[in-house]
Amino acid sequence: MISYLFFKGCTIPASLPKVEKLALEVLPEIGINLVESDEFTCCPDPIRLQGANQFFWLSVAARNIAIAEEKKLDIMTLCNGCENTLAIVNYRLKNNSELKNKVNEVLKEINLEFKGNIKIRHFLQVLKEDIGLDNLKKMVRTPLDDFKVAGHPGCHLLMPHEILKFDNPVDPEFYDQFIAALGATSIDYLTKADCCGVSLSLAGDKEASNNCIQNKLIDIQLSGAQFVSTACPACFNQFDFGQLIASRDFPQLQEKPIPVLYAIELLALAMGRSFEEIGYNLHRVKAPVKEMV
Amino acid sequence: MKVLRLKYEKNEIIEKNKEIEVCFKCSTCSKFCPITKNVKKYNLEDSFVTQIFEAEKPEALNDVWMCCVCEKCVITCPQDTNPTDAFTNLKEKSYQEGFAPQIIYRLVEQLLQEGTVYSLKFTNLARKRAGLKEIEKNEKSIEELNILAQKTGLAKKEVSE
Repeated sequence: MISYLFFKGCTIPASLPKVEKLALEVLPEIGINLVESDEFTCCPDPIRLQGANQFFWLSVAARNIAIAEEKKLDIMTLCNGCENTLAIVNYRLKNNSELKNKVNEVLKEINLEFKGNIKIRHFLQVLKEDIGLDNLKKMVRTPLDDFKVAGHPGCHLLMPHEILKFDNPVDPEFYDQFIAALGATSIDYLTKADCCGVSLSLAGDKEASNNCIQNKLIDIQLSGAQFVSTACPACFNQFDFGQLIASRDFPQLQEKPIPVLYAIELLALAMGRSFEEIGYNLHRVKAPVKEMV
Repeated sequence: MKVLRLKYEKNEIIEKNKEIEVCFKCSTCSKFCPITKNVKKYNLEDSFVTQIFEAEKPEALNDVWMCCVCEKCVITCPQDTNPTDAFTNLKEKSYQEGFAPQIIYRLVEQLLQEGTVYSLKFTNLARKRAGLKEIEKNEKSIEELNILAQKTGLAKKEVSE
């Protein structure tokens, strides 16, 4: 059993609490022990809060990392945004002593110090590097034989590649391998590495956001997949609630809805949970499961 | 033939992102940029990246905040210009000078009050519905966050109407 400090972030506890609960229940079954802490704050996010003030962004992320360092545990997150911020800051401070000293000057005010001796891991990185997909495959209880799933790794887990070193940022493969390890059929599609468009709606352009998610969903429909799966809460919300909004403008999306399953939900199904148990009824877009699989 | 048409001499942001000078407007980044691909007013001839690079006062444009840091432009640029970095610097200037969208200032305010970017009241309603324990405000963490805000010079801008 490998222990990680569970970095929940803001979006999962607020909008996908069921995913948080499932992670705490299911991950120990595949050898991941999650230690909880209430000392963390927002990571902060790489799009808006990094933009507001980069030094503040660096320092808050360094504070979160320093808390984990004191507990001598590596961090595991379920969110691409948290992974992106924490991994970038961890890398920059480890490799730039001038910047590290500057941040530590500020952290001294709250009696913390960034040392640079832990790792930051997204759940998918833990599967790839610590558990191994071959081992995961052996632990699966109810292989998802009849499922056809399109994977969406999400932008912030792929770039910056020189820091995250997770997958090919142009033609990612790991998510498909993860789907296959759970016994499902992974479905490739042209726009796999493209943005989900959630930031366009956050920036106030709903039309552009609808257009962006529509492009991906039509592509997924044509690929023959029944579900799309992601391990980023922002992308999840765009595929779920965003799909509902976009389907008002694009009737083709209503004809064949593509429900989204969080990576943790997909894993939970493969570990013997039912659709009811994973909270599928809380999703906004849900095609009747019996007809699908 | 004059290839460089960027008004970079007027643009302060070039001071921080000198590599922009070598942009020759090949539009490669724009073929992958989710903003140019989906926002109507942009196209390959007049893309998000070049419009922002060419603007007289790019930090005053709300669109700067559309950049989602996906770094597709960074992967594809043949000249290694790193537009994403330039946009982050522009956002920072926009925030400091009061040009950022109001929601950004509200986001910072929310973060400094509760340590999370979503209101705890609504977060806890959702958690209750899902059968999870409520999140309590961690006063010590919030106090530390506010010390960091003060020491790093995060300006607490008043929201301008």
